[in-house]
Amino acid sequence: MADNIEIEVKDLDFHYAGNVHALKKINLPIHKNMVTSLIGPSGCGKTTLLRCFNRMHDLYPGNIYKGDILFQGENILSNSSDLIALRSRIGMVFQKPTPFPMSIFDNIAYGLKLKGVSKKAALAEQVERALVHSVLWDEVKDKLNASAYELSGGQQQRLVIARALAVDPQVLLFDEPTSALDPISTAKIEELTAVLKKDVTIVIVTHNMQQAARISDWTGFMMLGELIEFDMTQKIFTAPSEKLTEDYVTGRFG
Amino acid sequence: MPTTPKKNSVDTIFSSITAVSAFSVIILIAGILYTLVDESYPAIEKFGIWNFLTSTDWDPVRESFGALTNIYGTILTTFLSLMIAIPVAVGIAIFVTEISPNFLKGPIGAAIELLAAIPSIIYGMWGLFTLTPIMSRHIEPLLKSIFADVPFIGILFQGTPMGIDILTASVILSIMIIPFTASISRDAFNLTPSIVKESAYALGATKWEVVKNIVIPYSKLGVFGGIVLSLGRALGETMAVAFVLGNNHRITTSLFDAAATITVTLANEFSEADTDMYFSSLYYLALILFVMSFITLAIAKFFLLRAERKYSR
Repeated sequence: MADNIEIEVKDLDFHYAGNVHALKKINLPIHKNMVTSLIGPSGCGKTTLLRCFNRMHDLYPGNIYKGDILFQGENILSNSSDLIALRSRIGMVFQKPTPFPMSIFDNIAYGLKLKGVSKKAALAEQVERALVHSVLWDEVKDKLNASAYELSGGQQQRLVIARALAVDPQVLLFDEPTSALDPISTAKIEELTAVLKKDVTIVIVTHNMQQAARISDWTGFMMLGELIEFDMTQKIFTAPSEKLTEDYVTGRFG
Repeated sequence: MPTTPKKNSVDTIFSSITAVSAFSVIILIAGILYTLVDESYPAIEKFGIWNFLTSTDWDPVRESFGALTNIYGTILTTFLSLMIAIPVAVGIAIFVTEISPNFLKGPIGAAIELLAAIPSIIYGMWGLFTLTPIMSRHIEPLLKSIFADVPFIGILFQGTPMGIDILTASVILSIMIIPFTASISRDAFNLTPSIVKESAYALGATKWEVVKNIVIPYSKLGVFGGIVLSLGRALGETMAVAFVLGNNHRITTSLFDAAATITVTLANEFSEADTDMYFSSLYYLALILFVMSFITLAIAKFFLLRAERKYSR
């Protein structure tokens, strides 16, 4: 496997409990330090695929994976993989901001504490670094002990990104991270992804095609559980190989 | 669109019936409160409010009455039963919402509801004939041998364990309020958005860490409201406690002593209230219980409402 591939998906099939066949023979690479977006109409399986990367589906009984997902060469779908370690290496950000019922500082420190960091100085330093990294530091440095609920929606989403960054993940999964935000907050998050990809690999699910075109290097187009086309973003949006992709990105359906 | 006159009159009758039903509740409450105040007025006049609340007298012969022994018994049994019930009930709620596999959730939920549906007299009988001997022969001697010589808390475990006492009554009460607290806590836990829990899991949290750091802080107001509602129930519970508490108008420090609660006193003594002042004093006790229950309910509603507002976004 080439060095610049962070995650390789091989012949992935996924069934939800009750035998809903949600992903069919998916094959795709996730390139290191790049932004890969997954687009497609509602129900196409893009979020399902994203949630395979950190085995989020394991929280609910009865879901079945088949095939392989190689993360840095290691198959994360094998029974022996340590989910807790996996999830501290692959972070996730959700559709809506999900601050925890605690202070801004404690929100960021939470993942660090889970990893066993307990020295105050180390915590403070890493919290600051994560907040600076997610461009939130200047806005919250004077109220780190305030409840995270006091922040605006856009700030909360950047807080959640900082929380994910604090544990030093190699990959960040974004599940429609701007769908609940106003345009200005959305722009800030989009700018952030461009900065973050120097340090982490980003996979983003979005229903906003312009967003995919603006921020991603690679794009996968999915429909009805299948990956129809995967290529450089520019090619997908200007000269797609598949008729379906072309119809979707030009707005003929979806 | 014009409505037909016939339909209109049906509508009026219908709304009137519902309105009468609704207002009858308010009238009932007001009526009960009036009766309580009216009947207890002679006692209020004779003993005053502060005096009655702080006097430990309960002497029908000299016609000298005070509420403190009853209030003490009520609060002590309620408090102890909550101490026993809360950990168990919260444990049940955590298991049902976060840990149990789906196929077990239904049966456990049904068992909790059944436990709540058992009439309290059955708890009382069971308490007297089954629990009391177990307590007096096994559990209380054990507690006594462990704690009687410990400074400070030893004072709670003095005397001969008879089984008819504060501890047994509290255990019975706790069994009765566990289903209540458990089902309200379960509902509160279920209000935690799954996306927030998933966020914690996505950071590498374990189940226990998610429950401790996310679910419980998120739902603490709701759980607290549930606890206060159970408290209200424990305050007013009569039959089960009457069987196993004895009827002892003294302030005791040992949990192995009999005591009296407001409800038990009322249930036991109305039939023997042979003087007007005795009768009126019992009504006065009832009025105090009414006010205590009202305050608890108000506190519970306040917290449940706040919990709903805070997280129903």
